[in-house]
Amino acid sequence: MRRIRGAIRAISVLLLAAFAGLILYVGYSVYTSSSRWLTSGYNARLTHAKRTVRMGNITDRNGLLLATTDQDGMRMYSADPALRRAVSQTVGDTMSMSGTGVETFHAQTLLGISGSLIDRTWQYLTGKEYTGEDIRLTIDAELTSYISGLFPEGKNGAVAVINYQTGEILSMVSKPDYDPQALVNRREGADENGSGYLNRCLQGQYAPGSVFKVITLAAALENLPNVQNEHFYCEAEQAFGDGTVSCYGHTKHGKLSLLQAFSESCNVSFAEIACALGSDLLAKTAEDAGFNDNFRFQDLILYESSMEKGDLPLYDLAWTGVGQGTTLVTPLHMAMIAGAVGAGGIMREPKLILQVTGEGGIPRIRTGGGIYRRAFSDSTARTLSDYMRYAVERGTGTKARISGYTVCGKTGSAEISNDKSVSTNAWFVGFVEDERHPYAIAAVVEQGGTGGSVAAPLAAKALKMAIERNG
Amino acid sequence: MAKRQIKASSLMQVLLRSNTRLLLSGVIAFQISGMLLLAMKTSPPDWQALLFAAAMPCASAGIVRLFSALWKVDRALLILMLFLCSVSLVTLEDIARSAVTPWQQATHMLGGFLAMALGILTVRKLRRYEKWFLPLSAAAVAGVALPLVFGQWHYGAKNWIHLFGGVSVQPAEFGKCALILLLACGLANRPRMRQCVVPLAVAAALCGLLLAERDLGALLLYFLVTCAAYFAATGNLPVTLMGLGAGVAGGVLAVRMFPYVQKRIEVWQNPWSDPLDKGWQIIQALIAIGSGGLFGMGLGLGYPRNIPLYNSDFIFAAICEEFGLVFAVGLILIYVIIILRGISVAMNARTSFHMLIAVGVVVLIGVQAFIIIGGNVKMIPLTGVTLPFVSTGGSSIISMMGAFGMLLGVSSVNAYDEAEDLKRLEWREANA
Repeated sequence: MRRIRGAIRAISVLLLAAFAGLILYVGYSVYTSSSRWLTSGYNARLTHAKRTVRMGNITDRNGLLLATTDQDGMRMYSADPALRRAVSQTVGDTMSMSGTGVETFHAQTLLGISGSLIDRTWQYLTGKEYTGEDIRLTIDAELTSYISGLFPEGKNGAVAVINYQTGEILSMVSKPDYDPQALVNRREGADENGSGYLNRCLQGQYAPGSVFKVITLAAALENLPNVQNEHFYCEAEQAFGDGTVSCYGHTKHGKLSLLQAFSESCNVSFAEIACALGSDLLAKTAEDAGFNDNFRFQDLILYESSMEKGDLPLYDLAWTGVGQGTTLVTPLHMAMIAGAVGAGGIMREPKLILQVTGEGGIPRIRTGGGIYRRAFSDSTARTLSDYMRYAVERGTGTKARISGYTVCGKTGSAEISNDKSVSTNAWFVGFVEDERHPYAIAAVVEQGGTGGSVAAPLAAKALKMAIERNG
Repeated sequence: MAKRQIKASSLMQVLLRSNTRLLLSGVIAFQISGMLLLAMKTSPPDWQALLFAAAMPCASAGIVRLFSALWKVDRALLILMLFLCSVSLVTLEDIARSAVTPWQQATHMLGGFLAMALGILTVRKLRRYEKWFLPLSAAAVAGVALPLVFGQWHYGAKNWIHLFGGVSVQPAEFGKCALILLLACGLANRPRMRQCVVPLAVAAALCGLLLAERDLGALLLYFLVTCAAYFAATGNLPVTLMGLGAGVAGGVLAVRMFPYVQKRIEVWQNPWSDPLDKGWQIIQALIAIGSGGLFGMGLGLGYPRNIPLYNSDFIFAAICEEFGLVFAVGLILIYVIIILRGISVAMNARTSFHMLIAVGVVVLIGVQAFIIIGGNVKMIPLTGVTLPFVSTGGSSIISMMGAFGMLLGVSSVNAYDEAEDLKRLEWREANA
C-alpha cells in the first residue's frame, strides 16, 4: 500500500507540474503575443469593432494630431499631405495595408478592445458611444516630415532616428510612402509607387555592407587581445579560400592600423579579422547585439536581422565579416546597434508608444520596455565609440559631422549585385555623443551610391534637426 | 478550558461543513447570474435561459444533497464538477448557434448523473473484482471494435457508430470507464510481472483498435492511463519508463507514417504558414484567446463563433474570449483542485483496487483537460479530445460523469470505512 501511495504521489506531482506549465504558458503567450494574434488579418473581430466603436486618436510626441475620427465616423489623417505621407507607415491606415502601422498593430487599444473594465462598464451604463483609447507616439512628426523631405528624390530607402538612452523612436522614414487619406476615400492610387505600404525601417531586410564592420570590430576587440596594435596590408584585393575579397572601388589602402582600417573601411583587413575570429565568435557577438533574435517588442513589429551560423567556408566568412555575406539587417535594428555603442553597450527596447489615455483622460500605466539586452561590454562600447568618432572625423564619414557636436558613425556601401551595373546601397549608422541629445540614426538609400557621399550628409542633417528641435 | 476546546472543535466542524455550502452557493450564484444575464440580453427575455436559471440551482442542490445522503460522497469534488457543468451550460447558452445545443447538453448531463450513480454503485458493490476482469475486457474490446465494423469515417476518424433513431455514440468514450475498471481489477493486490501481462495486453489491444480507427486523442489517453495505472500498481519505474519510451517511439513512427499527424505537427509549429486552411482553427482560437484579454469580452459580447468547433474542441478558447484570461486560469485551477482532491481520495482508499480506480479517473480527467487546453493555446499539437464536463458531446459527458462517479464511489467507500473506524474506536473506548 505504501508503495502505491508513493507512486500516486509521483503521478500527482507530474500532473501538477504539467498544469503549472500550462498556466505559465497561457499567461506568457497571451502577455507576449496577444497583440500579434489580434492584429493578424484573419481577425474578423476588428472589422466588426471598427463599425461600432469610435476609434481613438493618434498624436505625435508634441501632441500634433496624426489620426482621428470625425463626426461621421470617418478616419481623418493629418491635413498636411507631406506630413501624413512621411508618417504613413508608422501610423498605418484604416485598411491595414501597412501591417506594422499603429492603426493595425495597436488596433485593440485604439478600438478599446483591451480597454479597462471600468471604462467599459461606465460606457455601458451611460449609454455613450463606445470610444477607444488615444495613443501618443514617441514620434516627432515634423522632424519625420523634414527628414522625408531631405531624402534624395526618387530613391527608396529608410531612416530611423532613436533616443538611445530611452529607446524612444523619434522618426521612421520609409520611402516610398503613401497617402492613408486616399485609402479612406477609396481613391485609386494611394500607393502609386508599388511598395509604399512597407515600413522599410521595420520590415526592410538589407545587406548591411560596411556598417556591419561595427560588429566585426566588436568581436575582434572582445576576442583578439592584441588586435588594436596589429597592422594590416591591403593590396586592394586578397585571396580567401576559393575566392578573393576586394576593397570598394578597388582602392589600395597599403599598410593600415586597425583604427585606419575601420575608418577607411578596408574590406581586406576586416575579411582577415573575420577569418581570424572564425564564424562562431563572430556570430556570438552578432547575436549578443540582437541578430537572429525573433524580436518580440511590445510596441512594434520589427523583422529580424539574420546572420548565417555554423561552419562557413573561408570565402563566405571573409565576406560576412565585411557585411556582404548572406547577412541581412533591418534599419531600426542598425540604429539600435549604433545607439547601444553610445549607451555604453546597453541596447534599449524600441519604444513607439509614449502614452495611452483612456476615456477618463487618465494615462494608462504601461509595463515592459526598458533594457532589451547588453550588446557590448562597457569597454568594448567605449573603444567602438572612439573608432566611430575617428571614422567621422577623419575617415569615410566626414560628411556626417555636425558643428558643435560629436558624431560617431560608420558608413557603408553595400553591393546588391554581383556585377557593378547596379549602384550600391548607401548606408550610415551613427549617434550623437551628447548627454542631452542622445540620438542614434540609421539611414539607407537604396542604390544611392556610397554611404559617405549620400547617407552621411543625410544623417547629419537629420541629427542636426533632431538636436535643434529638442533645444 | 475543556469546554472551550470542544467549542473550538465544533466550530471547526461547522466551518468545514459550511465550506462546501459556501462552495455550492458560489456555484449557484454563478449559475443564476450567468443565465439571468443571458436571459436579459434579448427582449422579451429568453425563456430557456430563465428556465436554466431556475432549474440549475435546484438540480445542483438536489444532486449534492441526494448523493451525499445516499452514499456520503465527497461533496467538494461533486460541487466542483457541477461548477464545470455550469460553465459548460452558461457558455453554450451564450455561444451555441442553436438553442438546442445547451438543451441537449443539459439532457446529456441528466443522463450523466445516472451514469454517475451507476459508477458509485459499481465501486461500492463490486467485491470479488478479479472475476470481473475477463467480462469487462471482452466488453471493452468488443465495444471499441464496433465502429470498425459499423462505423463511418468522420473528421478523418472512424470512431462513431450510428444507432437507430439518429442517435450516435462513441464507444471509445465509454471504453475509458471500462479501461479504468479493468486495469484496477487486473492489477490490484501487487501483481507479479506475469500477472500484469494479460491486463496490459488488453490495454494494448484497445490501443491498437483505436489506432485502426485513427482516434489518436483517445489512443493517447488510453495509453497514459494504462501507464499510470501500471506504475501505481507495481511501482516498477523501469518498465513504466520503457512503456513510455515505446509510446514515444510509436508516436515518432506515427508521425512518419501518417501524413495526417505530420500535418498536425507542422500546423502546431507554425500555423501562420497556412493561415487560411490548415492553420485556420488554431489561429482563430489564438485570436479569440487574445481578444478576451484579462477579463473577457463579456457574455454575449464576443465573437467566439469565428472559431471552428467552438463548442467542442475549442470551447476553452471561446471561454477565454467571453470570460477572459483570469477566469480561464481559474478554470484550469478547478481542474487542478479536482486532481488534488482526487489524489487525496486515492491516498485514503483502503484497498489497492480502490486506489487504482481513483488514480485512473484522476489521470484520465487531468490528462484529457491538459491535452485539449494545451492544444487550444498552441502549447502542444492539437489532439481532438473534449474538455471534460465542458465540451459538448453526449458520449463524452456521460462517460466522463460515469468515470467521475467511480471516483466519488471510492470517496464514498472511504467515508464508510472511516465511519466504521470511528465506531470501532468508540466501542474500544467504551469497553476499555
